[in-house]
Amino acid sequence: MFPFTGLRLLLPAIVPSWRFFDAVTASPRLDYALLSAPEAPAEPWREFRPRPAVLRPDTMLRRLLWNPQWNESLFLVSLAERLMSATSAETAAHSQRELLLRVARDLDRHAVCNPEDYLQIRLRLVSRTGPGDAIGEAVVYQSGPCAIAGLLTP
Amino acid sequence: MMLDGAIQLTAALMALAFVQQSLEHLRPAVRRSERLLFAPRLVLSLLLLAVSLGARLPGLDPGVLTLALVVNHLFILPFFNGPYNGGADRMSLLVLLCLTAAYNLPEPAWRELAFAYLGLQLLLSYFMAGWVKVVNRDWRSGRALRDVFLFSAYPAGENLRRWAERPRVLFVMGWAVIGFELAFPLTFLSQATLLAGLVIAALFHGANACLFGLNRFFWIWICAYPSILWLQERVL
Repeated sequence: MFPFTGLRLLLPAIVPSWRFFDAVTASPRLDYALLSAPEAPAEPWREFRPRPAVLRPDTMLRRLLWNPQWNESLFLVSLAERLMSATSAETAAHSQRELLLRVARDLDRHAVCNPEDYLQIRLRLVSRTGPGDAIGEAVVYQSGPCAIAGLLTP
Repeated sequence: MMLDGAIQLTAALMALAFVQQSLEHLRPAVRRSERLLFAPRLVLSLLLLAVSLGARLPGLDPGVLTLALVVNHLFILPFFNGPYNGGADRMSLLVLLCLTAAYNLPEPAWRELAFAYLGLQLLLSYFMAGWVKVVNRDWRSGRALRDVFLFSAYPAGENLRRWAERPRVLFVMGWAVIGFELAFPLTFLSQATLLAGLVIAALFHGANACLFGLNRFFWIWICAYPSILWLQERVL
């Protein structure tokens, strides 16, 4: 409730911890699947907004001033991390809803889905599996199917 | 650098950074509920920029505008259930809160204290980031930075992951970052060393912006630089 929730979230900014990159742990990836009906199998899974194969120097410089999509992708990573370590039902519900809303809106804007479709998302945790550079992954979360039409807001 | 000048410069820089951030939330791809939160932030930031640059607007002074921005953030934070952009948002809020206090507190000494706190936190932001790395064995061995490129979500292009195949380069880069961050408080000893330290720090943020897409860190950390430059003159 205003202003108490905002104040509670504002307080940590007064004494920040500044523990940037203190440890590099398993990293979440967000996948989605579009279903024609809620009971249809969720296949194929596609990575949501995969990073470009090649990031050129001119793009890097342009992104210094205008980088909205990547910043939203970083927010999706934060939401995924909050969802996996949620200490309250409210946090889990907020993260899940934001993830679904943002994926659905992006797919709709790029005409990847139909409003009659159903959306399912999942989170994969990617990490190093041993002392070498071998990478492994595990699905740690999967949403239920949600009607795209119900996720599209103005 | 005089206190009022340093505060004004910080306010102008922060307003510019807020304009940049707000515009990213105002594109059509963003939901209307989110745009409605950032439209007033954009207007307030533009007004603060104008006032910081000397424009006279009836009934509007930087104290009122910074307070209004704080109220605006009391709506924005619950919308995202916390910061949108992690550390960059935390620094944005810290700069805003320190400026709000510096503009609105009644006693000059309190105003100085509020602005000095921002300079101190800036110094701590580098030192603490270095400290948490140096006590971690993976950072000392170079493994952590390899992992950042190998599988973390941060490299902004797949081609950047190839840096993970260059462990010696990353070992040196990792220790360069740790060494700089830990040594940053020493740059405070003179204005020349502090200026050099801030230039290196800005280049470091620039590299992070290019490689990891952390553009907001680049701009908002620079906003806090006047506070530490003023603090260094004030203390030493």
